[in-house]
Amino acid sequence: MKLLVFHIGADRYGLRLRDVVRVVPLLDLKHLPLAPDPVVGLMDYHGASVPVVDLCLASGLPPGADHFDTRIIVVGYRAPEGTVHLLGLRAERVQGVQEIRDDQLTESGVKAAPFLGQVAGDARGMLQMVELEQLLTPALRIALFPNAGNAGSADDSGNLP
Amino acid sequence: MFKDLSIKRKLYLGFGAILAIILALLIIAYNRFNSLSEANQWDRHTMDVIQAIDGLRNDLLQVQVEARGYYLTGTAARLDRTRKEQRDIPESIQTLQKLTRDNPAQVARFSKLESMITVWSKEVIESQLVMREQLGNAPGAADAMGKTPQLASTANSAIGEIYKFMDDAAAEEHRLLLERSAASTSLQESMRLVITVGGMACVLLGALVAWLLVGSLTTPLTNLTAAVGRIARGDQGARAEVLANDELGKVTTEFNRMAQSIQDSQAKEKAVGDELRAKVDSLLGVVSKAASGDLTGNIEVTGSDAIGQLAQGLDRMFENLRSLLNNVQKAGIQVTTSATEIAASAKQQEATGIEQAQTSVEILSTTKEISANASQLLKTMEEATIVADYTTTATADAQGNLRRMDSTMQHMVSATDSINAKLAALSEKASNINSVLITITKVADQTNILSLNAAIEAEKAGEAGRGFSVVATEIRRLADQTSVSTWDIEQMLKEMQSAVSASVMGMDKFSEEIRRSVGEVRQVTDQLSGVMDQVQKLAPQFDAVLQGMQSQAVGAEQISATMMQLNDATQQTVESLKATSEAVHQLQYAAGDLQTSVANFAVAV
Repeated sequence: MKLLVFHIGADRYGLRLRDVVRVVPLLDLKHLPLAPDPVVGLMDYHGASVPVVDLCLASGLPPGADHFDTRIIVVGYRAPEGTVHLLGLRAERVQGVQEIRDDQLTESGVKAAPFLGQVAGDARGMLQMVELEQLLTPALRIALFPNAGNAGSADDSGNLP
Repeated sequence: MFKDLSIKRKLYLGFGAILAIILALLIIAYNRFNSLSEANQWDRHTMDVIQAIDGLRNDLLQVQVEARGYYLTGTAARLDRTRKEQRDIPESIQTLQKLTRDNPAQVARFSKLESMITVWSKEVIESQLVMREQLGNAPGAADAMGKTPQLASTANSAIGEIYKFMDDAAAEEHRLLLERSAASTSLQESMRLVITVGGMACVLLGALVAWLLVGSLTTPLTNLTAAVGRIARGDQGARAEVLANDELGKVTTEFNRMAQSIQDSQAKEKAVGDELRAKVDSLLGVVSKAASGDLTGNIEVTGSDAIGQLAQGLDRMFENLRSLLNNVQKAGIQVTTSATEIAASAKQQEATGIEQAQTSVEILSTTKEISANASQLLKTMEEATIVADYTTTATADAQGNLRRMDSTMQHMVSATDSINAKLAALSEKASNINSVLITITKVADQTNILSLNAAIEAEKAGEAGRGFSVVATEIRRLADQTSVSTWDIEQMLKEMQSAVSASVMGMDKFSEEIRRSVGEVRQVTDQLSGVMDQVQKLAPQFDAVLQGMQSQAVGAEQISATMMQLNDATQQTVESLKATSEAVHQLQYAAGDLQTSVANFAVAV
């Protein structure tokens, strides 16, 4: 299984490569006043408007700094109803793709943030999986994607280039 | 009676008495000694008689013993010895008779004894000897002899009678010995008594005579000595007592007469001396007054004798002395006054001379100082001249150096300007590099993202995209390297730019400094030129000063020499003045002494 490796704060996290649509450079975002806390703005993705969530804010940390390897990872968010929505995740130090075998993964055993999954250890330290389905709370999901009906186009656009 | 004897007779008498006593004592002692020695001779005679009796008894015993020996043995030798002993007996009896010739009783006794011994010898000894001869050597002869009546009977009448007779004679002699010993002892006793009593009487008489003689000799002598001692102590009336009519008595009488005549003559002399002393005392009074200075005394002694003439002479002498002292007193006063005046003026002169000497010494020291200072100044001026010359040349050199420095500075200014321009160009180029780098960074970033997305797409493509995935990874690695290198270059460039900016600023400051230095150097050069001109002018002036100094030094030395001479002269003057002063002092003292000596005399009559 291949993971896209990035950092939230000082620690490494991994996102399954099948969920990733595209990695784009840090763009100027359209701010959304009075938006819920982790949402930092809207981005223009090939003409489509995609909400962007800061993973640092979502993890309860201060907002991430604008480094040269701070990227926006565009993912296909699969809602519980089955619809897929494009969602931008602002992540720091996006390093690249790493192969992790299934036997390397073990349960963390600690109840923390709901979107954090299994952990794996290697030469550079511990790496924890981010479960995309659990990332948005129901309230946030409704706030971001009120009309869950027209999510199919987003799935198509994810396979574009 | 004893007192009327002369000393010679007294001595003869005393010693004669002592000699007479000793002589009497000696005669008595001599008689006694004679009697004693006679008694002793008698004692010895008696002892000889007793010894002769014992000898006779011994001979008889010997005859008996030898005879019996013959009876027993019958040897002819024994017989011979018996015969010989028999022959000795008459000789012993004769000796006894000779010894006792003075005692008729004893003579008669020994005659009887001789007859008894002759009978015994014939009857007993001869008969038995014959009998033994007849017996010869027959056995039992000795026994037969022992059984003869002469030997066997215990009461041997003949020999027993003889021995008894001899005992009587010995007893008689012993009685005589006792009598004579008693007489000798009484003689000894009387002798001791005589010697003891006579000796004591002799000593007592001697002591008495000595005491009398000593008394008669020493008493008048002691009296005489005491009288002489008293006269010597001044008791003219002392006389010795005349005790006896002997030589010492005469001496004492004569001594007394002599003492009397001495006393008389002394009294006469004293009267004459008293008169003379009175005159001399009168003269002495006048002379004593004159000696203590009072010449006013009058001499009242007159006469034509020695004292009178002496008095007249003294009177004339006092008159002359009075007039002389008057003159001397006047002259003394005049001399004292003059000496005092001379001393005062000499002292003044001396003080002036000393002052002058001191002043000249001060002048001399000052002149010496001036001379020394001038010499020192001269040296200093010479040094100053040398320094001035050196300064002139050094200043010229410095001017040349400064000119060279000025041109160097000018070169440096132009070089700094060109460096500044080049630095500005460098800065500009760096800015260009920076913009290029930004582009490269952007490209690298884009490439990174592109490679990431390519990897994602390749993953999504599954097995078909496997090769592409490797390429994408490689591209991403290159992009990462590019961005890291670019970042490094960017950092270097930034450092370089800041260094260049600092250099530019430093160069600006440096060129500013150089410009200012150039200005200062020019100013210094101008000033040095002025200094050089002044220094060149100094040299001739120094020469003039030098010459002046030299002449001053010479002059100071001349002054010094002159002052030395003056000083010596002044010293000599002071010395002579001191000597004068001393002489005047002495004169003054002498005058004073004279005056005081004369003042002691009173001359007004």
